[in-house]
Amino acid sequence: MDHFVLLVWHALLVATFFAFLWRSDGPARRKLFLRTFLIMVGAALAIGWLMYPFP
Amino acid sequence: MAEPEARKRPERIASAPPGLLAAAWLIPGLGHLVLGKKLRAAVFAGVILASFVTGLLLQGELAVPRSGQPFSFLAFLACLGTGVPYIASRLLDLGLGDPMAAGFGYGNTFLVTAGLMNLLTVLDVSDIARGLKG
Repeated sequence: MDHFVLLVWHALLVATFFAFLWRSDGPARRKLFLRTFLIMVGAALAIGWLMYPFP
Repeated sequence: MAEPEARKRPERIASAPPGLLAAAWLIPGLGHLVLGKKLRAAVFAGVILASFVTGLLLQGELAVPRSGQPFSFLAFLACLGTGVPYIASRLLDLGLGDPMAAGFGYGNTFLVTAGLMNLLTVLDVSDIARGLKG
């Protein structure tokens, strides 16, 4: 079980969900999906990297 | 002058039909399907069920309320938000959870996420039915 794959899978599902919940047209959905997905994955990686020095 | 503009707007009603909200809760995507939002219905059903199945496969636990554990009530309400999949899985003894499994914590997250997403779709169905959203 790869933790990163699960993280990406979760971000994909949640980003897709909110793109369809909050936007009505295709381009706006794609934009919100990409933004949400990248923020979720990027933030998780950044926080993980910042926590790396700590035991 | 204002009349044609007012005619364009969908009719607003005070509250959505309870049966519609119950259908939206019980079966993910059904509320949107009834309202004619086929694409949204398919996407919501797919995403919510995918999250739910992933949670079960990772051996997450479908939460039940436990006395002395206040957070278990919140987790229960979140998981129950999935509707029929939650009820059916409990009846089939699925989703009992294995705390020793590597995916237990992740599984719980996927199961709670599925329930919360379905509850949000119920609110969305309510907004659409009341004419507040297209």
